[in-house]
Amino acid sequence: MVSLLLILLMSLFFTGFIIRTKSILSGRKGPGIFQPMRDIFRLWKKGSVYSTTTSFIFQIAPSAYFASVLMAVLMVPHGRNPGFISFDGDFIMFAYILAFGKFLMIVSALDTGSSFEGMGASREALFSMLVEPAFFILLGSFALFTGQTSFHDIFSTLHYGSQVSYLLGALASFVLVLIAMIENSRMPLDDPKTHLELTMIHEVMILDNSGFDLGTILYTTNLKFAMYGAIISNFFIGVLPYEISIPMFFIIQLGFAIAVGVIESFMARFRMGHNPQFVFILTSVSLLIFFGVLLVLGKFA
Amino acid sequence: MGTTHLMVWMALVLIVGLVGLIIVRERYRPLLALLIVLANTALSAIPSILALTTGPQLGVFNIPHLVGDINIKIDSLSAWFILIINFTSITGVLYGSGYLKTYSHLKTNLELHWVFYILFHLSMVWVCMFDNGIAFLIAWELMSLSSLMLVIFEFQNKQTLKAGINYMVQMHLSVVLLTLGFILLYINTGSFNFEAIAQMSSNKNSIWIFVLLFCGFAIKAGFIPFHTWLPHAHPAAPSHVSGVMSGVIVKLGIYGIFRIIMYLRHDWLLFGEVILLLSVLTALYGIANAAVKYDFKQMLAYCTIENIGIIGIGLGIGLMGIGNGDKTMAVLGFSGALLHTLNHSLFKSLLFFGAGSVYQQTHTRNIERLGGLIKKMPVTAMMFLIGSMAIGGVPPFNGFVSEFIIYNGLFKGLLGFQGISQTILLVLTITGLVIVGGMSLITFTKTFGVIFLGNPRQELPHEPKEASFIMLLPQYLIVAAMLSVALVPQFFFSYANKVVSAAFAIESAGSAVSFAPMVQSIASVGKISMVFIVLMITIFGIRWLIVRKRHSVAYETWGCGYAAPVKKAQYSGQSFTRSFGLLFSFLKGKRTSERIQKEKLYPGQYSYSTHYIDILEEYFVAPLAKRLTFTLNYFQFIQNGQIQSYVLYGLFFIILVFLGTAFNLIY
Repeated sequence: MVSLLLILLMSLFFTGFIIRTKSILSGRKGPGIFQPMRDIFRLWKKGSVYSTTTSFIFQIAPSAYFASVLMAVLMVPHGRNPGFISFDGDFIMFAYILAFGKFLMIVSALDTGSSFEGMGASREALFSMLVEPAFFILLGSFALFTGQTSFHDIFSTLHYGSQVSYLLGALASFVLVLIAMIENSRMPLDDPKTHLELTMIHEVMILDNSGFDLGTILYTTNLKFAMYGAIISNFFIGVLPYEISIPMFFIIQLGFAIAVGVIESFMARFRMGHNPQFVFILTSVSLLIFFGVLLVLGKFA
Repeated sequence: MGTTHLMVWMALVLIVGLVGLIIVRERYRPLLALLIVLANTALSAIPSILALTTGPQLGVFNIPHLVGDINIKIDSLSAWFILIINFTSITGVLYGSGYLKTYSHLKTNLELHWVFYILFHLSMVWVCMFDNGIAFLIAWELMSLSSLMLVIFEFQNKQTLKAGINYMVQMHLSVVLLTLGFILLYINTGSFNFEAIAQMSSNKNSIWIFVLLFCGFAIKAGFIPFHTWLPHAHPAAPSHVSGVMSGVIVKLGIYGIFRIIMYLRHDWLLFGEVILLLSVLTALYGIANAAVKYDFKQMLAYCTIENIGIIGIGLGIGLMGIGNGDKTMAVLGFSGALLHTLNHSLFKSLLFFGAGSVYQQTHTRNIERLGGLIKKMPVTAMMFLIGSMAIGGVPPFNGFVSEFIIYNGLFKGLLGFQGISQTILLVLTITGLVIVGGMSLITFTKTFGVIFLGNPRQELPHEPKEASFIMLLPQYLIVAAMLSVALVPQFFFSYANKVVSAAFAIESAGSAVSFAPMVQSIASVGKISMVFIVLMITIFGIRWLIVRKRHSVAYETWGCGYAAPVKKAQYSGQSFTRSFGLLFSFLKGKRTSERIQKEKLYPGQYSYSTHYIDILEEYFVAPLAKRLTFTLNYFQFIQNGQIQSYVLYGLFFIILVFLGTAFNLIY
């Protein structure tokens, strides 16, 4: 319950923070932090243009995408407070429910019969396939580390005993930040500000969406960002009382948003052909975490 | 009424059916076939349900002088598979009766089709019933041959015949291995019964029996590198047959493996690890090949290989769990495998039926020639979408339930195992399973998107229209069954659990406490799926309320300013998976293009095509087969086409047997 409210609140101005960071770093005046949300509200009020090629899939996909992310948000805990849904192995369902939304979005891009959108869909499918192992190895390592198999149990029993485990936490947040960047199609992989369709991934997939549906998709992206931020914050909150954990949640989310802004200001997008290699790095870092866990648990004896 | 009586009744129904199908007019044949399948279903379902609820149903069937007592045993494991066989066979008959209408001009082909179908159904049921090795092999052979006749339905087509021969040869390889395994078993224990395996102690022979039987069953199931018959046989067979074959017949390979590991009494960990490794590789190999195929039935065949891999992962985890003394892990692994068997039989036959409807309307299996079919065949498209999502394992569909159980088993093992090699193996398995999930997302978004969405890519011979009701009815039935598994998984899980506890003697009394959280988390998967569906419907409702009064404009797809879009410029299946294929370049793309010759004055037309080859088939199976035929060529003089010499061979054999018996060499 707590985490749902916090994530919903955070999703309202998360992208705003990123844009603000970027504008400050590039010396522009820039829009306020609520501007992205205002844009979304304006889109929600607009009418739509539908391609004559599309079928009902195109119309249901954005809402189903939103529903899938919302469902995933319900599973994210906040410190000592479990998510709405919490059971053994919930992070498996978390990943697969997100896959449901992704499946429909990919299919809806193909529904337009456009050459550009198919390209975006193909890339999205490929990269989300490549990034999935990193997430699972990461969660698997922490499951091994704590002996628990649900989000809430893993995070609430996570104790950083030695230096190695601090390193694990740092590496985990690195992996999670980059997973979030990839899942939301941000900088090192995909440039949301690019104007050339051939170099886009997520943006090109939603070229034909307009009005309410486009607003829903954009809001879902914000929500997804806040959700990953919440997961990252859980690595540090532990079982702290609310008066400490809630401010910490916001600080970590803010730090995450600023980090995204900084990365986007100082990095160029990778060449599309090099992206898979980059994503594989994440998997190998996750494997590093896994071996770190084995080391901490003394399994190498 | 005992099981033996039921057996006799089934045989009687079969004989009546065989005669009846030959006598009745062609119009009524599908109906009669349906009735016979239903009758045999009823006859086999009664003892199966009894076996699941009360206990194993035993019977003895005596054929004097020939083989003596044949033990019939329907335990809960057989019952589980018999019920799956029955359901899929019924949907197959229903679908087939509609599907074959387009072939009504091929009188000779249709003549015996249904005869083989009922034989096929009953032989599969019998395979699950016999405990005696010889009777089992006879039923097994009957099943292989009748399915062969079903595969080569369009025998005029050379390609089909070739696929059929390939299938026949590989199935007989399987029978040879099984026969050798049973003979070895008989030599060691003096009994042909499956149960005798349990008496074997750990020695070299017992390992060999396992290896032989496992390889024999693995050919049927389609584990790599024994999978090469699947991608040829499935596209060649008519769709209802490929649906039943992929849904059930490969599962009988799994049944066999289940049956032998059930009697395994030693070396659990070793066998578990080997099966686990083989299965992960099978799953990865199958789905990676499926992703790049453009023939949609071949794609489904490779996808079957992937799912066999997933089932195998469940079996491997189960064995490792027993080896480690971790009952929860064992139960999760085995029941995950059983549930995935059920789930796969449901969604794979659904997908094959959908593919059949598409093929019937468009006469092509190449997805690059299709597109935009959702407007012409909306119901088929919807069914195919449901099947695709279920097979991709996303909630709220049934594929997720079994994958979730298998994942849980893997994580349980990860926490339970002390040894580092097992821990690493399990983490790599999790990684493999995750990658398989991602790849099946690629595969099925591609297949569904290219076949059903966008614009038609080519002119079709005639305007496609929606499949007939009789072809859609079985698909509705399957979807209903799928949703029931997805929404009430604990019901199916409890029965799978029962099967596993009975088969592996895991006492449920002491373990009831430790299983409770497991059942709870599986029940919560069903509940969450339900909540998810409700949430989606609510959001659709809100969207509809907001959007319905807004004005919306229909316009062409945005072509980035280009106002004359070409249908050929749409993203195709090949281009969708191109970067995937490049990344996994072990699936080597073979490019053939006709070069423009220098002496030509003007460039003419030239073609360009990309094919992906099955590397195991190309570089492992084919060379092996070539070498074998080279050696076997020297024995060709035996098959010389003269009846006289064949009679002579027969005489020789009879004399040999006679002398052998007379001098007590054979007994």
